[in-house]
Formats: sequence, C-alpha cells, structure tokens
Amino acid sequence: MADAGEEEATSVSEPLDLVRLSLDEIVFVKLRGDRELKGRLHAYDSHCNVVLGDVEETIYTIEEDEEGEETVKTIKKQSEMLFVRGDSVVLISPQAPS
Amino acid sequence: MSFFGFDTTLPRDEPRSGKSKGIFEAQDPFAQVRQARKLQAFQDTQEEPLEFDDTYDGLGDKLEEAGDDFNDDTFGGGVEAGTISKGQISKDFDFFGQTAQVSSAIEEEQLRYNLQQQPKASTTTAQTTAQKPKKTGYEKYQDPGYIPEIQAKSSVWGTKPQARNQEEQPERISTASSGAPPAKRMMSLEAVEAAMRAQSQPVPPPQQVLAPDHTQNLYQQSVPMRQYASPDLQQHPMATQPQPQPTKPIQYHQRNASKQEAIKPAQHPIQILQNPNRAQHSPQPSQDRGTIQDTQPSRPSQATPTIPVITHPQQLMQLSEEQRKAYLEEDARRAKRNHKIFLLSKGNGLMTPQDKNFITRIQLQQLVTATGNSGDADPEATLAEDFYYQVYSQIRGAPRQHPTQPLGHFAQTYLLQTGGRLNNRRQAVNGDNHMQRMQQQVQRAVEAAKLKPKNKQLIIEGSLGKISFSNAKTPKPLLNIKRPESTDSKPATGKKANAEVRSSDRKSVLRNLETVYQDLMQLEDHERQMPPPPTAGDVEAAQTHMEWRQKTQVLNSKLWRDLKVLEPIVPGSTVPHPFIAFLSFAKGKKSIPRIFRHIDQEQRVTILTMIVVHLDQLDVISRAQIAPGESHPPPLVREEIELFSQVVMPCLLGYVSEAPINIIIGLLGLVLDHTTVLTVAKTKIGLGILTMLLSRAELVKESGDVNDEDWQQWTTLYDRLFDTLEPVLGALFPGPVNTSDDMYIWQFLAAVGIGASPEQQQRLVLGVKDRVMETVMQSRTLPADMSSQRLSNVNLFMRAIGLDVELLG
Amino acid sequence: MLFFSFFKTLTNHTITVELKNDISIRGTLKSVDQYLNIKLDDITVLDELRYPHLSSVKNIFIRGSVVRYVHLPAAEVDRGLLEDASRREAANQAGKAK
Repeated sequence: MADAGEEEATSVSEPLDLVRLSLDEIVFVKLRGDRELKGRLHAYDSHCNVVLGDVEETIYTIEEDEEGEETVKTIKKQSEMLFVRGDSVVLISPQAPS
Repeated sequence: MSFFGFDTTLPRDEPRSGKSKGIFEAQDPFAQVRQARKLQAFQDTQEEPLEFDDTYDGLGDKLEEAGDDFNDDTFGGGVEAGTISKGQISKDFDFFGQTAQVSSAIEEEQLRYNLQQQPKASTTTAQTTAQKPKKTGYEKYQDPGYIPEIQAKSSVWGTKPQARNQEEQPERISTASSGAPPAKRMMSLEAVEAAMRAQSQPVPPPQQVLAPDHTQNLYQQSVPMRQYASPDLQQHPMATQPQPQPTKPIQYHQRNASKQEAIKPAQHPIQILQNPNRAQHSPQPSQDRGTIQDTQPSRPSQATPTIPVITHPQQLMQLSEEQRKAYLEEDARRAKRNHKIFLLSKGNGLMTPQDKNFITRIQLQQLVTATGNSGDADPEATLAEDFYYQVYSQIRGAPRQHPTQPLGHFAQTYLLQTGGRLNNRRQAVNGDNHMQRMQQQVQRAVEAAKLKPKNKQLIIEGSLGKISFSNAKTPKPLLNIKRPESTDSKPATGKKANAEVRSSDRKSVLRNLETVYQDLMQLEDHERQMPPPPTAGDVEAAQTHMEWRQKTQVLNSKLWRDLKVLEPIVPGSTVPHPFIAFLSFAKGKKSIPRIFRHIDQEQRVTILTMIVVHLDQLDVISRAQIAPGESHPPPLVREEIELFSQVVMPCLLGYVSEAPINIIIGLLGLVLDHTTVLTVAKTKIGLGILTMLLSRAELVKESGDVNDEDWQQWTTLYDRLFDTLEPVLGALFPGPVNTSDDMYIWQFLAAVGIGASPEQQQRLVLGVKDRVMETVMQSRTLPADMSSQRLSNVNLFMRAIGLDVELLG
Repeated sequence: MLFFSFFKTLTNHTITVELKNDISIRGTLKSVDQYLNIKLDDITVLDELRYPHLSSVKNIFIRGSVVRYVHLPAAEVDRGLLEDASRREAANQAGKAK
C-alpha cells in the first residue's frame, strides 16, 4: 500500500525510483537487438516492463552493399501505445523533450 | 523362412530387411547391380551351377535374428502358431502397416501352394527362402517367357506400392484363373482362423518397435492411397479374365457379411483397450509412442475389414460397384473413428491420478493468487495488487468481477477523482469544455452589460480621480494570504541578487512532483478509509473520527509543504519558482485538479495568486511565444497549452468565478505589476486568464456588489491594461485570418469591450476592425457550420460593444 | 502484478503482439496470466507472406517470454490511472523490500 512506503518510497532509494521520476515524461529506452524507443512513460514495474505512449521505435540494421561496405540503416516505426517486455530492455533514460 | 516355400521374394518384402527405407538406408542400393554383374559374368563363362554365395547378397546375415525370444509370447506361441506365422511375422515387419493385405497374400500363397504344388516349393529349405527374398529380380531373365519388368528396381527407391501391385497381380490372376472353387475352399475354418489370428495379432513383434518411426510414418501415409488404388489395378487384369460363375460373388458376399459381423464386435473393443494399455506400458517418450500407436489402430481399421469381407482380392472385384464403394466408405469411416479414438487416447495413462491431483492443486493455487478473488482476501491487499484493473473496471463500467467485494467507498473516491480524468481523456469530444465555460461567463457578462446603460460606467469613470496604486497592488484579502511571499518579494525586487541557489533543476522538480503524487495517493487512500460519522454518544466512534481528521490534516499540510507554493519568490532569479517549475511538467498540471480537491479555499487562492504572479514564467506562456512567421507554437508546447487549459484553467476559473471583486482587483494588479503584459497577452493561456478576470469583474459589478472605492481601483487597472494592449490589439491574433483557433481572442476582446468606455470602445474597434472585416469576409467562403461558428465568435465581441456583424452587411 | 492487472482490462480488445522473432500477430486478447502469457483469438499474422507458418491458425497461446512488444489500443488505456498504478506498485515493492 502507499502508506507502507511513506517517506522511504518518496525518496530516491533504488535505481528504479529514478524511473519513477520519469513517469509521464518522455523517456529513451534502449533494447536488445539494436532497437531504441522514445516515448512517454506511462507504466513500469520491477522487471522493467514498460508501457510507452506515442512511441517512436528506431531499428538499426547494418547493410552491406556490393563493395562490401557496411552502412547503418535505420527503420523508424510509430506506435500510439506500446507495451515493452522487460527482458528486452537494456536501459531507460530520462530524455528532456527537445 | 517361408515355411511353405512359396515365393516370398516380392520386392515389397525386401524392405523388411532394411530396404524399405529406400536409398537412404545404409543398405547398399547398388548391391543388386553388383550381383547382377557377377551373375552375368558367371553365366557367360557357363562354368558351374549357381553358387548360393555368389548370388546371395548377404542381406540375410544382416537380419537381426536375435530378440525373437518373446515371439511366442507375443503371438500365442506353440507350433501351430508358428505354422502360419513365421511367414506372417515377417510380413508384419512390413512397415506399410499392411498386415491384413499381407495376410491375404499369404492365404493366396497357401492356396496356390496347395493347388499347384509347385516343384520349387517342395524343395523349400532355409537356404532357398533366405535366398529368395534376396533375389535381385534378375533371375527372371533366365526365364525364357519373362517379360522384363521396368519397375524391377523400384525397391531401390522405396517405391513399394507400384512394384507391389505389379508383383501381386500375376499371382492373383493365377488364382483367379484356377477358378473360384479353390477360393471358396479357402474360406474354410482354417482360413477363418487365419484371418482372425491376423486380426488378433496386430501387435508387432518387438523388433518393429525398434524400427525407426519416421520410416513407419512415411509408409503409413501411402497406405490409404494404395488401398484405394489397388481395386482399380486389380480390375484391369480381371477384364481379360473369364467371368467367374455368377453365383459366387453372392455367396462370398453373404459369407463375408456374416463373418464381418462375427468379427467386428471383437475387433473394436480390442482396439480401444489396446491403446491405453500400450501407452501405459510403453517406456518410450510420448512422441515415439504416438507414432507407433498411430500405425496400430489404423492398420486393423484399414485392413481388417477387408479381410473378413474380402478374403481375396478378386472378391472385391466381384462385388458390384456400389458394394465396393460401400465397403470402401465403411472402411474410411472406421479408419476415421479409430483415428479419433486414437487421438483421444493419445496421452492416456501418462499421468497417474496423483500427478493429476498435484497439478490441479497447483493450478487452483495459481488461480487464487492470480485473481486474488478468494473471498477472505483483504480488499486492501487486492487493491494494492490489482489496482489498475479494479479502478479501471469501476471507471469504465466494466462488469465487476467480484460484486460482493466491498469497494463502495473506494469506487466513490475514484469516480469523483476520475470525473476530471474522463474529461481529459475525452478531450477530443468535449475538449472545449473549459472554453465553453469561459464563453458562458463572457456571455453572461455581455448580457448583463447590455441590460444596463453604458453611461453608468462613464459616470463612474468620470467621477473618479486618481487612485493610489499601492492600494491596488496589495488588496486586503491577498495580503492576508500571501503576505509571506509578497512581503518577501518586494524588498527582494531591489536586491535581485539573492545568492541562494535553489535546486530547481529538472530532477529535483520531478522528485517534488513524485512526492506530491505520493501525498495525493495517501490522501485519497485516507479519504477512502474515512470512518462513518459518529453518532451522538458513541465516544469511540467520535474518537476514531477525530483521529481520522487529524491524520487528514497532517497529510494535507504535508501535501501543501511538498507543493512548495510558499517557497520565497526570488525575483529576477534565473531559476523559476519551484511551484512554477512544478507546473511546467505535464504531470504537474495534471495534479492540480486532484490537489484542488484536498485543499481549502485559502490554499486555492494562494495557488491562483502564485500562478498569476508568475504568469509570464509559466511554460505555457513563456514557451508559447510565437516565432515570427509561425502561426502556432511548436507541437510539444501546444500539447502543454492544451493540457493547461483542460486541466488547470477549469480549477482557476472555478475559483475566479466565485471570487469577490477585491481578489479580482488584486490579481489584475499583480499581472500588471509583476509580469510583462504584452508577453502574457500574446498567448492563449495569458489571454484566458485576463478574460477570466475581466469578465468576472463585470459580472460582480453588474450584480451590484461593488462599492465605489473598489470600482475605482478596478477602473484604473483596467485603463492601464487597455493602454498597454491598445497598440498590439491587431497583433493578438497569432496567424492569418484563416487560422481557426481565435475564439479565445474574441472572448478576450469581448471581455475588454464590455468594460470599455465609449471612447475606449472606439479605439478597440479601430484596433481590430481589419480583423473583423477579414473574418466576416472569410467566413462567407466557408461551409455554413464553420461560417456561423466564426461569425458567432466575432459577434460575441461585436455585441459586447453594442454592435452586430449583421450591421456590417 | 501491475501489468497483469493492466492487461486484464484489455481483454476482448484487439492487440498486436510482436514476438522476439519479429513475427507480429494481431488478434483479440482472450486472456492473460501473471506471467503475461497471452491467449489470442481470431489471429492474423502481419506480413503473412514472409511468415506463412501460422496462416491456418485461428487462436494461439503465446508464452510471455517470447513477447517483445504489445501494441495496445490507446483509447482503452487510462494513462493517468496507469501512472498512479505504477507509483503504487513501486511503493508496494519498496514496502515489501523492507
């Protein structure tokens, strides 16, 4: 219950509390598989499962052309509301809207 | 191997020793070729008679002779069984699942043996049988009458079906040509026994279990096809055959029918029982067992019916088309049913009852913890675990999962709270709720103003002299409330360089915000736990209630403290006031309605004052300044503006619309003294607040609750505001005339217009007449509904100054 | 339990589950459990040409651990409530940790 946490819960005592500060703020989430997300954080839990709103997903893929030169290609996708399973999450970072 | 010495060398039989797997089996497929070459060489030289070793490909050695120990057990043992079955067992090795057909073939062989007494058969030895199955097929070349068979080597490719039928046919033809009587004789007791035995022994010898399952599957697939194909194939040779006696088929049919009846009942129970039993005894994992089982029930089902019914292939041919069809259909049906039974019984016996109980217990436990719907669960705990679902269900009217659960209080709390939320979420629908309320207030002001002659104002205005500004700046009620900060701020204006660095950085603001949310949730939880109001005389209840109120007070003051509204104002500081910084975050704005529910009027007016004093520092105003050439602020800012007008403005308006005149005077004074009015006026929120104040002042005045002194103060402030804004009246509109969102500006102009003196009204008209004309012109090009909307916006202003768009023609 | 609670409110709504092997499956959420295993009805596979494996499947059970994203119907998500629920969850966790 909320009462149980009281003072302790309100101070930043563990890493995930930093994530709590970013609730309803735009965050940057880096995922496994060269994926990144940017969107408004609406929910998170201790497994780093998150729900993001108005998300932009960026996927980085390396493509090799004929000369064997590697170029990084990015694919961008939009989603209005997205649940992200925590086991893919590498990091969650607050991101001031630019 | 063949007890009777009949020819068991059908190529299809070879696979049993391994070749059934086609060329993919380890068996050398080219061994036959080598043998043939050798044979050729031998024939050329014409030396000796055939040596067994020369023609023997050695496959016999590779046969696994071991593991037969239990054959007797399996097949009923004894000499008698052995009689039929050595042959049969080996046929059972057939991976086609063709036991039945094989058994019929055996019968044919038997018959042929009896009838024809082939000399070859009489010399049967182990050697020949060993040799014969291994025959390469090339021996036939030595037969002068032999017609080369193109598919002789098909066995190499594992293409059994065709080869088999081809091989079988000559036999059948021979039996058929020998006439039906022998066949009839075959239906003796012996034959019946043989058939029944074939049925009752569908259990393969142990070796078969060892055979790779996939091979079995492979061939099994081909079974139905072959079954249904064979009648056709059989029919063709028959066409050239002399017709059998017409009576025979009937006889056969009758016999068969009766036999079928006799056998059928026995057959199915066995099958049904077999599966579970086998499943239980099988040590193999389910996958393997599955495939093996698969072959077993299907084999009898596909083949056995044809045995009793059609003991000989030609019987089938003798049947009429319909009968045959019926048989085949019956067959298919039975196969289907058996398959179903098999599927159902797939996992039979896999788990013991104890296992099942155990699993059931686990599942029940999970169910209980997962849904938390055990009746005696603490509703608070349930709420903690399942907060979102519970509240969401309440808000959205989802059917309640546990109607008995005492959620009443809780539901009330959150329904109240989420009333505001619902509006937020549905802003697309009734997004202009706030604007409408503002409109109403302005309209009321306009109506009220029209009822009274304008000159009343003039008289008042004319009768007034200079008013002392100091009075206007610090009206009494405000002073009382915000003395700490206002007294604080005034001396600070001079010093400016307040060394105190407040940590108003992003993170600390966010932390403050989260703290406030925490406070809010505690307050809301606490509110939900409110004890029932004490009845007279109930001391204990009164006590509880007192404690509850005290706690509420504590929580409230904590919330107030955490809001940091009363932090000292440091004018000129580069760091915004914590409360203003708080409001610059979306969640800060969103918290305002929730906060307003828990604070008293005094605290509300303090917040309002705080906002008004820092009006030009609010993000929705400072960041909303429109860059040259733009007609809108950046999208992110627009979102914030929307949010502010959806969430914060109604709260403020809710207070302002009931505020007495002195508060309004004080607030307008603060705007004029502490903020850059031009900055404020160029934004939607800024104009909104000004409109709020102006229209409220008019309404209060019209209601007659204003004394002259107050009104003088107000008029002075109004004049100042008017003078400041007059030069930029036309520039208040952010974009060209086709920018649709200018309603808030017309509202503001209307509010200004009501309070304006005739002279001011003229200046006002001069300032915005271009825009009025443009809008009216433009609205004529618009669809009716949009046009009327725009015109009504303009008209709000026009009517405020006693005009109407209609007059503009 | 936050996300379990959350997903329960989305039953009978259409969601799109993106698996870690890039297959996206759209269907009606029939049920969810505490592991966020998901049961979907009336499914269709996005980009079916590339992933024809499931073209004949009507409903499926998805093990929670293979999920990468779940695209949600934004209209069915109460963002404010969800954020509150996250805060409560955080407070609960902090309470339990003690």
